[in-house]
Amino acid sequence: MDLEQQALTTTSPGSLSWRLSSHPITLLTFLGFRISSLLVYLFGMLFTDSLVMIFIITILLLAADFYYLKNIAGRRLVGLRWWNEVDPATGDSHWVFESSEPGTKVVNATDSRFFWLAIYAQPMLWVLLAVVALLSLKFIWLPLVVIALVLTITNSLAFSRCDKFSQASNLAGSALGSGNLAGSIASNMVGRFFR
Amino acid sequence: MGRGDYQNPSLEDDELIDPDDADLNDFDDPLDHRPAPASSSSRAPLVSGTIGSSSSSAPTNTNTSSGWTSRIPGEDRRAPTNTIDESVWDTLRRDLLAVWSKMREVLYPRYLLGGDMGSTTSFSELAGRFGNVDVDALLGQNHMTPGLRDWDLWGPLLFCLALSALLSVRSREEQRGVVFSGVFAMVWVGEAVVTMQIKLLGGNISFAQSVCIIGYTLFPLVLAALLSALGLYWIARIPVYLLLVGWSMAAGVSILGGSGVVKNRVGLAVYPLFVFYLGLGCLCFIS
Repeated sequence: MDLEQQALTTTSPGSLSWRLSSHPITLLTFLGFRISSLLVYLFGMLFTDSLVMIFIITILLLAADFYYLKNIAGRRLVGLRWWNEVDPATGDSHWVFESSEPGTKVVNATDSRFFWLAIYAQPMLWVLLAVVALLSLKFIWLPLVVIALVLTITNSLAFSRCDKFSQASNLAGSALGSGNLAGSIASNMVGRFFR
Repeated sequence: MGRGDYQNPSLEDDELIDPDDADLNDFDDPLDHRPAPASSSSRAPLVSGTIGSSSSSAPTNTNTSSGWTSRIPGEDRRAPTNTIDESVWDTLRRDLLAVWSKMREVLYPRYLLGGDMGSTTSFSELAGRFGNVDVDALLGQNHMTPGLRDWDLWGPLLFCLALSALLSVRSREEQRGVVFSGVFAMVWVGEAVVTMQIKLLGGNISFAQSVCIIGYTLFPLVLAALLSALGLYWIARIPVYLLLVGWSMAAGVSILGGSGVVKNRVGLAVYPLFVFYLGLGCLCFIS
């Protein structure tokens, strides 16, 4: 426990303030896409009566967010990336989960916390909105919510898979290399704690 | 680990000899806690660095790595740093170029225009070049351009949105939302059904790939919907829309025909596609 406390105080620079980020523009764009799709869906009706308009804007924002998270934010903020490959001969698709080489990429604690917080909070919020849409019998919004759920949950699952792999080998690598097993376990626990 | 093999080398075991083409992907996943088979542990000396050694000699991290996402089928990889650190602009440019290369396949259905698919003339020279290969295998492998192999959903998404929006523009105010979501759902369901049909016929194509291709071939129909939204006179619509549906069809057949759908079943496989395009064309006509 005190190890964890100690690790907590040492990682206090990783608090949720974008000024501490090492990629502030990437981080802010990422958060912007994430939040704006939700905002447009929730409050779009205040500005326009056109359901179609809100639908289109929300979907485009969701798609942009998906793309940005998958190909840019994940790579730059935490050094993770995933994609799908198709074997042209058989047509089997094949998922690849990639993480950066240990030691070559320093992941900023602030970036990492923002990233994981956003990546897990978003699907939960959409689930909540799906329940609201169901209960208030607004079935016309359900396709949109379903698309949002599929996009956000795909990213969450894929990135947590990437992260499992990177954590497993990082932990092992540092334990082997420096013998500082306790420290790496503690930082790992802190890392898990703030997802 | 694996060192014992040196006392007792067995040359029959091919796994002992490191394959030249082994790369990072062949290495053990530390998430896998099945006991490493002898063949894979004997490969470990090839691995320089952390991954190989960590996977075999660090059993302490079992609790951190066992997770339910590990059940997602797939492969974990270490990134070569040069690609994971590429600039945002490089990423965007690469993906935009990929989208453009797919668009080009649709704009110019070259397998159809540059030599008929079914005819043997275009394949005889190819077959001559590659020696004695059977044409079906050629159809399955060589006729999908690299651009079409890596799929994305930008095309399907954007064209589907454009189609639904353009078709709903001219509808009555109170029906607009219904028309929009109706067309939107119809396009995605149609793509899924056509893809299922192709898969069931034994096409060597993944689900998402087929959805991607069908989505991109909607481009001529988006033009049709645009003309409708602009208020083209109905007599003029008939030939123009038939032409546009034909264009979509040509692009679809040209791309899907070469995707490994068994050659003598191309007609069967693309017939639902034709119905799909025709239905959307009719929607454009009446809107």
